[in-house]
Parts: sequence; C-alpha cells; structure tokens
Amino acid sequence: MSVGLPAWSEPFSAEHRSELARSTPFAAVDRAWAFGSGDGAGVTVAIVDSGVEGDHPAVGGALSASVRVELDGEDGRVVDDDPVDVVGHGTACAGIIHGLAPAAELLSIRVLGADNRGKGQAFAAGLEWAIDHGASIINLSLSSRSEAMFGVFHDLADRAYFANVLLVCAANNVAVASYPSLFAAVVSVAAHDIRDPTVWFYNPRPPVEFGAYGLDVEVAWKGGGRIVATGNSFAAPHVAAFAARVRSAHPGATPFEIKTILAATATVPR
Amino acid sequence: MTEPDPLLAALRAVALRAEAARRLTPPAGMAVLASIVEATVALFGAEAASIALYDATDDRLVFTVAAGEHGEEVVGLAIGPAEGVAGYVFSTGQPMALADVAGDARFGRTTAEQTGYVPRSLVAVPLVDDEGTIGVLEVLDKRGDAGFDLHDVELAGVFARQATIAIRATRIERDTAHLLRSVLTALVGDGANLPDGASGRDAAAAIDVEAVVREATADFDADDDGALWALADEIARLRAADPGQIDLVRELLAVLVRRAEHDRDLERSRAGRRVAPRSDAAR
Repeated sequence: MSVGLPAWSEPFSAEHRSELARSTPFAAVDRAWAFGSGDGAGVTVAIVDSGVEGDHPAVGGALSASVRVELDGEDGRVVDDDPVDVVGHGTACAGIIHGLAPAAELLSIRVLGADNRGKGQAFAAGLEWAIDHGASIINLSLSSRSEAMFGVFHDLADRAYFANVLLVCAANNVAVASYPSLFAAVVSVAAHDIRDPTVWFYNPRPPVEFGAYGLDVEVAWKGGGRIVATGNSFAAPHVAAFAARVRSAHPGATPFEIKTILAATATVPR
Repeated sequence: MTEPDPLLAALRAVALRAEAARRLTPPAGMAVLASIVEATVALFGAEAASIALYDATDDRLVFTVAAGEHGEEVVGLAIGPAEGVAGYVFSTGQPMALADVAGDARFGRTTAEQTGYVPRSLVAVPLVDDEGTIGVLEVLDKRGDAGFDLHDVELAGVFARQATIAIRATRIERDTAHLLRSVLTALVGDGANLPDGASGRDAAAAIDVEAVVREATADFDADDDGALWALADEIARLRAADPGQIDLVRELLAVLVRRAEHDRDLERSRAGRRVAPRSDAAR
C-alpha cells in the first residue's frame, strides 16, 4: 500500500530505489579499502538516547561511561549515571553499533527520564557534552521540533563538524521539520525495507542522504531482552557503526570525508 | 478606581458567554478521535488502538480514547511523558514498531501491568502539529502472524495526522482565551503590540492583545469551582440524562425559583417595614 506522505524512507523503497542510481565519481573506493581491518578500534561512539544497559550481552562490555542530563529550569547539567536504560531504545542502538563495530568504545548520554520530559534543552545539553568530551561519532535518534531550538541545534551541528565529530541522525517520518536531523552538516538516515544490515543506500537528493536497515531489526532491549524493531531510529546506528569502522581504518578522515566514503561504498541500487 | 472600560466590559461579557457555552458543550472532538481509533483498528485488523494526549497541567500522557477488543482497559491510564514506548515516542517524536521475540513483552510492561493486556506487537507514532508533539497514537497486535512494517508506520502516521487536526480544531474552539485572542488580532492586526505611533496607527488601536485577553478571562480559572460554573457543569451533565429526569429537574427548578422569588419579596417587604421608620426619623 502506498500512502501520500512525505516519508523519508520512500526513496529507498523497492519502487523508487532505481532512481538513486547514478554514475558514482568514486568507483575506485570500495568497502575493502573503506573499512580495511577497521573494527571501530580507537573510536568513541556516543549514544544520546534513553541510556544504555551496560551489562546487556549485546553491548558486550563496550560501554565505557554513562552520564545523564538533569534539567535545572532551562539549563541542562550533565552528571554521572548508572549504566541503565529507562526505555530500551538506547540499548538497542548500542547493540547494533557493537555488533558491527565491536572494538568501538561506547558512551551513553541519557537525555530522557522523569525530569527531562524529552525537552529540546536536554537533548542539546547532552549533544554539547558529547561533542566536548571525546566522542568521535554521535548517534542521535532524537530530534527537536521546537523553532526556538533551531539556532541552538544549528550551532551545535556546526560545532561538531568543525570539531571533527560526525553526527549521525535518524530522520523523522513526520511532515514537520526537525533538528538537527535535517541539517546539511549531519548524516541523516531513514530506514529501507531490505532485511540486511550490510545494505545501505546513498540518496543524492537531500535532506535525507542515507537509507539503512531499519525494518524488523532484532535488537537488544531493556532488562537483558531482545525485540524486533522497525523505524528510522534503528537505521541510524547501522550508519554510525560503519562510520566508526571507516574512522578506525582512516583516523584522519573528517566528517565530510567519512560521509563521502559512506556514499561511495553504498549499495548499488537495482 | 479608573472608569470601567466599555470595550473590556463587552469582552468580559463575550468571554463569559463563550466560557459558559464551552462548559455546556460536551467535547465533540472526542467523538472524532473515537472514530479515528475505530477506523485504525478496522484498517489494520488490530486488537486495539488508542490515543494518549499530553496533559501539561499534570505533566502526564493520558490515554483518552481507545477502540478494539482490548482497547477499553487503557482509557484513563496516565503515564510519565518519557515512560515506556509511548513516552519515548512522545518525547523523541520518533515513530517505531516493535514486536516481541522472547514472548515476555518488555516493551508493553508499563501499561500491560495496569490493563492486564500484554501486546505481542505494536506501532506507536507521535501526534505532531506546528506547535509541537501533543500525544501518541498506538496500534496493538495486527491480526495474523505479520508484524507491523514500514508502511504500517507511515499509515499510522496518516491517522495520527487526522487525529492531530481534530484535536487542534477542538482545542482552539474550546479555548476561550484563544478565541478572544484570534478575534482581537484579526480586528486590530499584528501590529497591535507596537508602541504608539510605530505603526502610524491611532494610539487607541495599539492595544496589547495579550493583556486584554488576560483581563477579560481573568475569572476563568480552569479549577474554578465557583457556584456559577458548578451550575453550568450540572447543566452540562443533564444533557446525558433521560427526558423524564430533565422534566423532573425542570419542575424542581421552577419550584425553587418561585420559592426564591417569594423569599426575596418577603425579605423586601420586611426590610421596607424596618427601613421606613428610620427614613421618617431622618427627615
């Protein structure tokens, strides 16, 4: 069934995939070169989400630190946190990243919880902390729709870019602009409908440039469990993991270069 | 004490009538929402569908309408705005579908414990409009073996959009302050807040819409349980009563009004007798 929605996943669907085909200017760049022996070693991936369950088998002990944002009025304060997940979503992302880039170090920044109510200020404070505290790649499945936060997130996306930090954001499937997922400096990801974690597509027509595995993904969840999940927010960590592998193989690669390498090594649409 | 502003007095009268009408009218939007969740259940062949709306006063997500065989249990349930899958979707705006593989439905625990219904799969999408996320639409257990796929997430999004439009329309219609604000803004234009002379407008037209609305609706506290509003609420409740009961109440009211008039006349005549001699003395 086709519905007339501005769905960011649509370009990656079976009906439209052929439209992604183009003559790539980077034919010589393949995955063997892109990843080399890169397994994420030396790369820290931050997960700005609902927390990460540190002892979950899928996370494999890769979680090196956990912090959370406490909102004091409009100001966010970052404090140490237990390695816990209040929903399960952050653990799902951590499990996907660890599964594909097992040597990457994970950092959990919890921005959801009883006090934060999912406020844009908490997201922004968590993102800012991650940029300033050694994250090399940041997975962000959250975004804000608040017009008041437009400038804040735009500034943070630029700051990350200039600080050599790559932001990988899940696109939103709703017909309203959301930040920072649609900014040019980030890698924006929607889900495709192929059940294969090694398949990702590049869409030369922004804002959503990448399509990755996000349909019926078996993921880790709260309480040591596993569930099957579908959504753009499960596609983004796949791209974050591959970005970590590129950076592991090519430590000098900048966010712009990593994005280019991911585009060059994307699955050829058929 | 300054002269009472005739414009403000008129606005107060309008606001009072609008507020009374609002309290007397059952929330029509709920019927639309109910039909949306019913249509959702039918189209997905789902066991249940529900809409939870964010209540800013209590800072809770409240399940407001539901449909389907296992839907009703959830109505009235209130959860934290970042709690569980519904809270996650509300807080992040990220729609998602989940299916349980282990059979222990961890994702549905919060509501499952309180409703006794444990879903095997669900799709949850945010209700989003220009002013932000106002709630969550959840669909539980598509019939058959298939779980929810990407198209289901999108389709649920279409229903969520309809629900959002219905809710926003109802809220505007039912929000007296919003009504006054939009009418005033339409009358005096967006330049109403400009300082005198800035818009070249007559100084009298440069009114502060917010301040006027605040003043005109000053007595309408949401929790106001004053006698007038209690009466309005009682009348609103009467709409659901059967005609026999309404007749009975009308007769009782008529008796009470006659009695009140009688008491008042009596009081006046007594007062008149007491006052008359003093008036004479004063002369």
